[in-house]
Amino acid sequence: MKIEIFYTPGCSDCVAAHAKLRTAAQESVKDLEWRELNVLNDLDYAVELGVLTLPSIAVDGELVFTSMPTVAQLREVLLKRSGART
Amino acid sequence: MFTIGKLASLTSVSNDTLRYYEQEGLIEPAGKSPAGYRLYDTDSARRIRFIKHAQNCGFTLAEIRELLALRARDKACCGDVRTRAVEKKLQIEGKIRAMKAMSKALEQLIADCANETQPVNECTIIAALERAAVSTPVQ
Repeated sequence: MKIEIFYTPGCSDCVAAHAKLRTAAQESVKDLEWRELNVLNDLDYAVELGVLTLPSIAVDGELVFTSMPTVAQLREVLLKRSGART
Repeated sequence: MFTIGKLASLTSVSNDTLRYYEQEGLIEPAGKSPAGYRLYDTDSARRIRFIKHAQNCGFTLAEIRELLALRARDKACCGDVRTRAVEKKLQIEGKIRAMKAMSKALEQLIADCANETQPVNECTIIAALERAAVSTPVQ
């Protein structure tokens, strides 16, 4: 499962949140591909996915969160999706 | 201190627009003249220039209100403003992409209509738009 988090640098709260979300994702999904994308470096890709607000999170190329989720919200989505895959 | 007319001429914004900004809480008078007229200070002029520049960058008045609030907030940092600017850029890039897709669709319709002397009831553009209307469910 590929998780992409779109962000803008310079947000110290975001860095801490990313680490927590990443840990939660690693605990929830076995085949995890975690990418943190500076939206300015990947603007075309962000626009293609429909990213309009930051931070946003896409799972397997689909925009799922348009603001920072809680660890519980992310875990719930990932478990639901990994359950649907099997 | 300036009257609304003076402020309007200083900032090249109409009196009506200034009144609208005031209704929307974007500017507020600093006081009143003895005759009861609203008076504005240089901060109002600065805010109006800020509003105009932000509008030129695509920000709506609601978004500009947030930017002005950020400007006044002690705990806010440049990163907060930068994020809003990046989000605005994303919105604009999304609109450009959508408009390019519209332009391309029109290009195709125009190319398909090679014979402009055909009667209108045989016009391929109208036919194609009617087909599109049938395939798109009405909300």
